[in-house]
Amino acid sequence: MRAHEGTARRYAKALFELAHASGDAEAVGRELEQVAAVYAGDAGVHDVLTRPWIKPVDRRGVATAIAQKAGARKLVQDFLGLVAKRGRADHLPEIIAAYRLLVDAELGRARAQVRTAVAFTDAEKRQLATRLERVLGKRIIVEEQVDATLLGGFIAQVGSLILDGSLDGQLARMRQRLARG
Amino acid sequence: MIRVLAIAALLLGAAPSAALANEGGGLISLDKSILIQAINFGLLLFILVKLLYKPLMTKMAERTEAIRSSLEEAKAARADAERERAEHATKLQASYAEAQAIRASALKEAAEEQRRLVEAARAEAARLVETARSELAQDVRRARQDLRQEVADLATTVAERLIRKSLRDEDHRRIVEDAIGRVDRVS
Repeated sequence: MRAHEGTARRYAKALFELAHASGDAEAVGRELEQVAAVYAGDAGVHDVLTRPWIKPVDRRGVATAIAQKAGARKLVQDFLGLVAKRGRADHLPEIIAAYRLLVDAELGRARAQVRTAVAFTDAEKRQLATRLERVLGKRIIVEEQVDATLLGGFIAQVGSLILDGSLDGQLARMRQRLARG
Repeated sequence: MIRVLAIAALLLGAAPSAALANEGGGLISLDKSILIQAINFGLLLFILVKLLYKPLMTKMAERTEAIRSSLEEAKAARADAERERAEHATKLQASYAEAQAIRASALKEAAEEQRRLVEAARAEAARLVETARSELAQDVRRARQDLRQEVADLATTVAERLIRKSLRDEDHRRIVEDAIGRVDRVS
């Protein structure tokens, strides 16, 4: 996975530099995510793009055609074709995440990955984003994921910062205090 | 001795004279026979001295010498025996002293060995006691920690079940709101 991340960062950086030069890095990111969702949603396409015995040229053709059909711009089509040709299609989730980080850093924003026991209301999302922005000094995008295993509250992660506002965390801390005596 | 021989010769010489007196006159007749008697007596005396007295004297001297020699030998033997006895006594004394020294040394070594063994046994006993005490303390600490951990696990498990059962939507909302309110404290 580490090797995937290193490779993904290199691809993401290359794409970001090209997209940034064209002045529409965020839109490129969105298109990349849309096409990647198509790849992930179709097992046949995924197989064609990841099987090593399929000719690289054919993999590139399929990837480019799907991107074109999805309405992605030429840069995204070429990039996905290159990734498929080099047999890195299975790296796409990591490439997208790395690209997103680059775009966020460029735009001075960060993403808060929030695991919550119950879905946030819009007001709660805004409130959390505002608080985090005040603390971190950058714009925050809240990405929420409902986790039924959580007892209550939420756990938010922004980069290396983790905020544990869950009942599970409180119980764990209580358990530690009791165990320490 | 000479006196005894003279009396014997006198008696032997007087016997013929007495016989002669009985024949003619007194006890002693002073005639030519007395000369013969004297010569006889002299011869007899000479023969007695030559044949009896001198060998007897020689024998006596030899006997005396033998006895004296035996006495001297006995004296020398006694002196030797005395010397040997003294030597034996000296050796015995030395042996006794040496035995005493060996015994004293052995007793000292035994006492030292006993003291060393006792000290070693005490040290070993102290070490065992200390080890047992340490292990006991460690076991107690471990047992307490295990007990605390079990109590903590049990308490949190029970709390989790109770919370899960009793939490309602408004409780979730309040928990989220409280947690959002605590975000500022991160800074």
